[in-house]
Amino acid sequence: MGTNLLDAELVKRVQAGDTGAFDLLVQKYQHKVINLVGRFVSDHAECQDIAQDAFIKAYRAINGFRGDSQFYTWLYRIAANTAKNHLASRARKSPGYTIDVDDAQHFEGESGLKEYANPENLLLTDEIRQTIFTAIEKLPDDLKSAITLREIDGLSYEEIANVMDCPIGTVRSRIFRARDVIDKELRPLLE
Amino acid sequence: MTDLNEKLSLLLDDYADDNADTTIDEVIGDINLQYRTRRYRIIGEAMRNELPQAIDTGFHSAVMAQIHDQAAVPTPAPIAAQESTVRHSLLSWMTLKPLAGLAIAASVAMITVALWQPLKQEPGQPGDGLVSADQEKIQKLAGQQLEGGAVTVSTRVQSPGTRWKVERESPGMQQKLNAYLVNHTEQSNSMQGLIPQARVAGFDARQ
Repeated sequence: MGTNLLDAELVKRVQAGDTGAFDLLVQKYQHKVINLVGRFVSDHAECQDIAQDAFIKAYRAINGFRGDSQFYTWLYRIAANTAKNHLASRARKSPGYTIDVDDAQHFEGESGLKEYANPENLLLTDEIRQTIFTAIEKLPDDLKSAITLREIDGLSYEEIANVMDCPIGTVRSRIFRARDVIDKELRPLLE
Repeated sequence: MTDLNEKLSLLLDDYADDNADTTIDEVIGDINLQYRTRRYRIIGEAMRNELPQAIDTGFHSAVMAQIHDQAAVPTPAPIAAQESTVRHSLLSWMTLKPLAGLAIAASVAMITVALWQPLKQEPGQPGDGLVSADQEKIQKLAGQQLEGGAVTVSTRVQSPGTRWKVERESPGMQQKLNAYLVNHTEQSNSMQGLIPQARVAGFDARQ
């Protein structure tokens, strides 16, 4: 079962009324969608709102998804359009403040008004990154190679088996064990 | 549990055995497995430097809460359910079609019998007394022989009644009576459709 098939299975369940399956799709793609929307909108809170809107629009329209393209491609289009529409709508509104001509050269658009992610979240995310990289550094070489080849290089299990010269079953086991070890370090931060 | 976690790891990497459906079911039904899935994903995203500026741990919960809150918004009708409904409708129609045909045939037969019955009665035989008129005029008509052929005039009138008298004295009463009958039969639960209209037409033809 590849990504397409897994997504297709989840989409089929959502279309049959299983909202739990949609929850899994949201969890799977939330960061990708947030990153995508972040290319249009720099404000973090606004970005989150638009990403949420995009998922809700996707949920409402999911019966129209016939699997002609990958689910993420379809979701990507919805998210991009939602962000563009948001920008267009915002552009139609007056800024609500005036800028003195003398101050215009110092004006940097809305950057001075940005509402960044709250400090706790920023700190947590930074801590998560550090914890993961520290845990990877501590991994035995075979586990570290397996998880790196998979997650960073995007190799398939078959390709990793060729590179590491071991059976696919071993690759499967090593990748899982690597994740499990890292997860033990990560879990306290996200509970 | 380790076996299930390993299956989860496989599923994230787009590999799964024939029991993938079961694994998905277990993930949907187990919040701890969902948390684990999320952490496995975060590991990969962190390694690829794809984590957002700040992880919002409540993002998916907020999305799902909005979806659940928007009860007024029609939930998309499941395709499977739609197909099932269509299949069910077809099945119902296929089952009911012969019955509907039978009902129509029975209605037509009933109309035919209802209209034919008075014609089958012998002259002079006591009837229902559907109309009343002057006995003298009827007897006169019955005694006439027209050139064209046989004409039967029924004399089976039992009671004189007051209907035609009312009509003579109050012109337009007949129209009101007919309108009342049509309205009554249309509103009646037990007599809808073709039959009442046919009866009214039959009534008018006998005037």
